[in-house]
Amino acid sequence: MSGGLFGSMGISASGMSADRLRMDVVAENLANADTTRGANGQPYQRKEVILQEAPGGSTFADTLAGAQAPGTQSVGGGVEVTGIVADPSPPRRVYDPGHPDADAQGYVTLPNVNPVTEMVDLITSSRGYEANVQAMNAAKQMFTRTLDILH
Amino acid sequence: MGLFDVTQIALEQALAGSAQRQQLLANNLANADTPGFKRSDLDFHATLAGALANGASPAQIESLQFTPQTDTTSSMQADGNNVDVDTEMAKLSQNALDYESLVSVANARLKMLSTAIGYGQ
Repeated sequence: MSGGLFGSMGISASGMSADRLRMDVVAENLANADTTRGANGQPYQRKEVILQEAPGGSTFADTLAGAQAPGTQSVGGGVEVTGIVADPSPPRRVYDPGHPDADAQGYVTLPNVNPVTEMVDLITSSRGYEANVQAMNAAKQMFTRTLDILH
Repeated sequence: MGLFDVTQIALEQALAGSAQRQQLLANNLANADTPGFKRSDLDFHATLAGALANGASPAQIESLQFTPQTDTTSSMQADGNNVDVDTEMAKLSQNALDYESLVSVANARLKMLSTAIGYGQ
């Protein structure tokens, strides 16, 4: 066993921070759903968070436990964000000749942000965050009960 | 026979197994949206029950290791992830209750022992 209940609280914390970051990115996408001029002068491009399972057994406690009991299988270390990447899907094109950013044919290039997709992502990450909070509370409750031994 | 009998050692091992399972279930939940992630779980009850049924000695029980199992066969989502958050939450509650009942039993037995040795009187 590596890390025990404190380990599981760390895992839940990694899930919470990953979900919070996903919410930040969704909020940025929604806020820029109609931005025709991004930082580089081009229309805003939708951003996505890439998640990956974090390798377990990297903390001091895990190394110590592994040295004391060789052959112990370490549990995964939660989730980590490997990067925020731009969504390469094509932008929307809307006919609006009066728009200052319209091209010669009168089309405006708008970001590839679909508010419906963003709302679904928002709810997914919000529910994910709640699930991680529940898991952390369960671990906390278990830990408190352990402290009750012989009292 | 030492101070602690097989049952007490098995209870402590079950607590360790339950804590390890909590970690696995938390990891499953944290990776509920990680593409390609497969859930892991641990059946410490079966491992302990098997060892006790085979008449393992206290020392053997004490050195038991629980090996997590990864379910690679099923898929819940198109990206290959097989974490069902509802099932994980149910298992999480079940494991927390498991742990609490193990603590209660272990505690009751320790109190009996401390009464027997006249501790705290």
